[in-house]
Amino acid sequence: MKKVLFAIAFAFFALTGYQALAQEPELSPERKQAIDSLALEKVRDLSKYVKLIGSKNTPWSEANRVIDRAEELFAPDAEIGVSSLAKTKIEYYKVRQYLERLMRLNYDRVEIDWYKIQYVSDLQRQPDGTYVGVITIFQTFKGYDAEGRLIYQDTTKKDITVYVKRKETQIGGRLIGFWDVLLGDMRVKETTKK
Amino acid sequence: MSKVLRLIVPVFVLALCFKVDAQVLNDLGSVEMDERELYTMTKQMGQFINRFNYEEDQYGKKLNPNDPSFRNPNKRKDVLPLLFDLENPRTAGALRDFFVEDLIKNNQYMEFLGGNWYSEVSAKFKWKGQMVDISMILMLEKEGLGSKWVLSNVFFSEFQKYFPQGEMAEREKHFLHPMSHELDFMNIYKVFNDPQTIEYYASTDYQPDYLALFFYEIKQGNLKFDHVESVKFHIFQIKNWYFEVSWFNRSGYNAGWLISNLIYLKDEEKAALLKLYQPKQ
Repeated sequence: MKKVLFAIAFAFFALTGYQALAQEPELSPERKQAIDSLALEKVRDLSKYVKLIGSKNTPWSEANRVIDRAEELFAPDAEIGVSSLAKTKIEYYKVRQYLERLMRLNYDRVEIDWYKIQYVSDLQRQPDGTYVGVITIFQTFKGYDAEGRLIYQDTTKKDITVYVKRKETQIGGRLIGFWDVLLGDMRVKETTKK
Repeated sequence: MSKVLRLIVPVFVLALCFKVDAQVLNDLGSVEMDERELYTMTKQMGQFINRFNYEEDQYGKKLNPNDPSFRNPNKRKDVLPLLFDLENPRTAGALRDFFVEDLIKNNQYMEFLGGNWYSEVSAKFKWKGQMVDISMILMLEKEGLGSKWVLSNVFFSEFQKYFPQGEMAEREKHFLHPMSHELDFMNIYKVFNDPQTIEYYASTDYQPDYLALFFYEIKQGNLKFDHVESVKFHIFQIKNWYFEVSWFNRSGYNAGWLISNLIYLKDEEKAALLKLYQPKQ
């Protein structure tokens, strides 16, 4: 009897929970804009971290700490897919692996800069109700040798997946809703090279 | 000369259209350089749709549906020609102008979840030890609280070879007569005599399910995915038109996702073509 009651209660909560999610109204343009800003904030953090990790002035231990922070921005299974103008086949890296490669690049000085432009896609819902979007940014990379000569330069387009989920947390006994933003897979495509 | 002018003028208009003061948008980066190329580039397929419908301004800012500029026909008319590959005479001539006129006159728009648009993912697979080209067709399907891309068909020349169209005269020779059942189908062995003609014994409506063959070969371990070569989109949403959108990775003001092919196609003729993309409708 207890088991049956438990099953009924579970089904009831599961169903009402699902309905609550299903009945969640479509995001208003204002709400979407607020979420876009949240997502952009994460991308901004990532850009700062990438610059620090790539810089030869950042001590090794500090760079490792920054990699930890950068990794926290991403969903656990996120991957980075990289292709170049010469090699269109996508190479896949785990986030940590990608950032560690960046840290170990064999240049004496590295300059990483981000263009001011960014493009934020519309948010679409995936089957479980999570919103998913893509933010496109552009980065320039310059690598110099010991004599200060520019030996490598490229511009890459980075398309970064953004997951946005409505979550709740208890603060002082009250349930407070918030939007949780997590970065997902990132596609890195070379657009120009010198 | 006039051809050159026809190419230069829209690009120039485009550059003006997207001219951005670096001080206006000071969000992410620090690079002080001409970013007009990056603004004009149609960076995502979603941006292609937003520009196609004129649902975002020249800076990529989404327009609120209550904004008078939202889907504004005059502004849309200016932007639409710039969504074509201007280096291809097929997509930069009179046909393009007819298409734009039709879109504006009949208020036709693209819809992300409106169906009838497909992605073609051209990929390399290893099949029986050799590298082969396979095109996978994907479409958006609504599910649960949202949507997802699903495989709707696959093109692989080796599969197609198994099912040649065949001469009608030859096809008509192969059948089981209507009283075969009275003889306990003793003649059914004929179906299996020649494997090349086995499908002639199926219904006239029979269409091979290439996706099932694809799954079977993958499950058998005969076919192994290697990598994606390219992606493009096939759009059937606009009444009496079909167009393709491809990625153009190049410098200049005509780059990114652009219309790479345009065909005037009556809706009656579309049905047969659509079956290639989505055999089960």
